[in-house]
Amino acid sequence: MKKSEKINIVGVTACPSGVAHTYMAAESLELAAKNAGCEIHVETQGQIGIENELTPEQIKEADVVILTNDIGIKNEGRFKGKPALRVSSGTLINKSPIIVKKLIAKLSGRKINNEVKNAQ
Amino acid sequence: MQIISKQLINLKLTANDKEEAIRKISNSLDEADCLYNYNDYLANVLAREEITTTGIGFGIAIPHGKTNAVKQISVSFAHLVKPIEWQSLDHEKVDLIFQLAVPESSKGDEHLKLLSALSRKLIHPDFREQIRNSKTSEQIIDLIGNSLLDAVKG
Repeated sequence: MKKSEKINIVGVTACPSGVAHTYMAAESLELAAKNAGCEIHVETQGQIGIENELTPEQIKEADVVILTNDIGIKNEGRFKGKPALRVSSGTLINKSPIIVKKLIAKLSGRKINNEVKNAQ
Repeated sequence: MQIISKQLINLKLTANDKEEAIRKISNSLDEADCLYNYNDYLANVLAREEITTTGIGFGIAIPHGKTNAVKQISVSFAHLVKPIEWQSLDHEKVDLIFQLAVPESSKGDEHLKLLSALSRKLIHPDFREQIRNSKTSEQIIDLIGNSLLDAVKG
């Protein structure tokens, strides 16, 4: 894991009709992550098509991947080997601040542990 | 390019339950000539509600129908006089309804971008507050219109 202090999150959102929940979930996650000082990139897979497509670099840098589980996510193979959290778009819309807070608590601990290990 | 008009705004909707609200709003979409077939559209919206609730929390519901019974992508807005139960994700009652009508075959349509921009806006508490405090249809059109301009620019 890289040593940057910022927690780095990437996400992909999608929903059955692809017109509303996809974008609300993305916005909610982005807002919560930015407010918490995280680096955040969210790809939307809606009826418009794929927007803000995650780059291989962004995925590589990410500490965690958040995927909505309302419907299948396209090109999921990109995230192989990454810690992933799967939640519904509704959960992201309503609970992104709590989810981000919990992730930070979990990942910060791991980062510190890794840095301690690296230092030893 | 517009997806909302004065005709599609009701600042004092009375409805006893979610189905009545959806029927009344669907009716206004039909009267504004946004639909080919009222019954098919209504059935599609109600079927969508059966899958999962569109009560997204924060007092907002976004029922939507995506079907070829829709002539033109539209948003209809209603502010309920009395909040109603919508099985919302946060268990709160709903007082603001944004009901969407989307043709099945609207891929790549610019109007979809406007809908996605509006959806994103609804996440922001200050935007919800401005909508909730709006007293005229013009204010609503202005608020939604501005969010859409951002989308076109973006």
